[in-house]
Amino acid sequence: MIVEALADFLTLSELGRVVVQGLAKSALYVMIASGLTLIFGLMGVLNFAHGSLTMVGAYLGGLVMVLTVSQSTGVVGRLGLFFVAIVVVFGALTILGGAIETTVIRPLYDRPPIYQILLTFGLTLVVDEIVRIVLGLYGMQPLSDWQAALATKPQLLREPAALGPVEVRWLSVFEILLGVLTVAAIWAFLTRTRYGLYIRAGSEDSEMASALGIDVRQVFTVVFALGIGLAGAAGTLLMWDVAWGASVPLAAETLLPAFIVVIVGGLGTFRGTVVASLVVGMTDSTMTWWFQNYIRFTGLPELTLFLVLVVTLVVRPQGLFGVEEVGGH
Amino acid sequence: MSLLELDGVHAYYGDSHILEGVDLSVEAGEVVALVGRNGVGKTTTLRSILQLTPPRAGEVRFREESLVGLETHEVAQRGVGWIPEDRRIFSQLTVEENLRAAIPDADGVSSGLSLAFDAFPILEERRGQDAGTLSGGQQQMLAIARGLVGENDLLLVDEPSEGLAPQIVADVAEALSAASEDATMLLVEQNLPLALDLADRFYIVDNGRVVDDGDADAVSADDERFRRYLSA
Repeated sequence: MIVEALADFLTLSELGRVVVQGLAKSALYVMIASGLTLIFGLMGVLNFAHGSLTMVGAYLGGLVMVLTVSQSTGVVGRLGLFFVAIVVVFGALTILGGAIETTVIRPLYDRPPIYQILLTFGLTLVVDEIVRIVLGLYGMQPLSDWQAALATKPQLLREPAALGPVEVRWLSVFEILLGVLTVAAIWAFLTRTRYGLYIRAGSEDSEMASALGIDVRQVFTVVFALGIGLAGAAGTLLMWDVAWGASVPLAAETLLPAFIVVIVGGLGTFRGTVVASLVVGMTDSTMTWWFQNYIRFTGLPELTLFLVLVVTLVVRPQGLFGVEEVGGH
Repeated sequence: MSLLELDGVHAYYGDSHILEGVDLSVEAGEVVALVGRNGVGKTTTLRSILQLTPPRAGEVRFREESLVGLETHEVAQRGVGWIPEDRRIFSQLTVEENLRAAIPDADGVSSGLSLAFDAFPILEERRGQDAGTLSGGQQQMLAIARGLVGENDLLLVDEPSEGLAPQIVADVAEALSAASEDATMLLVEQNLPLALDLADRFYIVDNGRVVDDGDADAVSADDERFRRYLSA
């Protein structure tokens, strides 16, 4: 039985499909978790509102698409408008993130971390409730995916794609491309710009960075704002994926894997987050295949994410690329 | 008028009263050593100047401007550099990135790197290496180089020889000596012969106060005043 299953799993078509799906999940995870890890790495703030702001990004992106896409809009037009939506959402959420940091997070920097945790958790409740109220005003269901936003997805991304003998979804390919683009953009920002250098220096030792003349508080604001912008951009992509979709529960659905990825990678390291996204995404995809095809119990694959988390915490508590101490000010 | 003046500075860690009215001054172009036993407030004095441990009373003036109440980065931007006692290099950044982070003006990167690599050629060989993988001596060189490239008018140097092998101490002393030709320094150093060798003047600190001072050239390390305040 096991030998037969293994042979089935190792065929090019099945293994290829699992790998592509795993990479697509990894791409989504890295997009969701990048902002969270940048914020924690520099500021030592565990932002529990990250999932809620991802959800806001999904609705805002969906709104842009619903307002601009018509029945006659073609594939290229829809894809073009999607990138416009990403830019709009990123910009709007970046401004919102900057406002949140300066008004409510900044006064708590000199307090114990529990204050920031309670505050960001409270923000989650407030944001989720505001979204529920707004949806209620327009007669929309907060618990189910926003179908009008899903309907703006171009037909191409609903169809399967054949990569040789491997049949995958075009949406998976699209998600992988966006994930790679996101990682490349963040990597270039962190390693090729002066501001990125300040962020990495401040992440390691913010007091020393201040003593070199770097305005670390300003860097905090920029990183928090960009982190929230990234959460919003990720939400826009999730709005098109039926496995996620724009709905209020998306806040919790994204927060959990984001935390798992950030912890497995090593709190606050971007490199760790990229690698952990691959590990978690591929594990998720592989275990999903096994549970769906042989164990036939669809509720369990998600447990494997927690298994990865537990194994990491037991074997290497600081995470794959973590250091003993990060963040702080 | 002095480049740096501390006037009755009191500083605390929580409820612990560490500096109990420190008075000192540093003239432009001179090297001033701050000596004393462990825990008497030498490092806290440097931290108070940088506003990392802001004074609760007293005045810190740099070029006649009060630094009290400024943010640390604003103090640094006025030309006060810090070479901390435990080096505090950014271990996950490369040697070159550590130096770049300390160069205030993007246009000055090239000349700043040249300055650092001329002072410590080994750093040029290791410029692409993660700073955390350098030896202790090389990390100290990097910490000093980072202070030098910052276009600072005053360098606060804290225990530069701590934990280093004698040969490395000699290299560090030579680098600091060369740097002192262009820079003003306030130097905290437990190695008394080294401190007196580098310094023009000295202050002895005890229990959070300056208790004695004098010209470095006029005393030796076994002077009675040092024995009284520095012996365990």
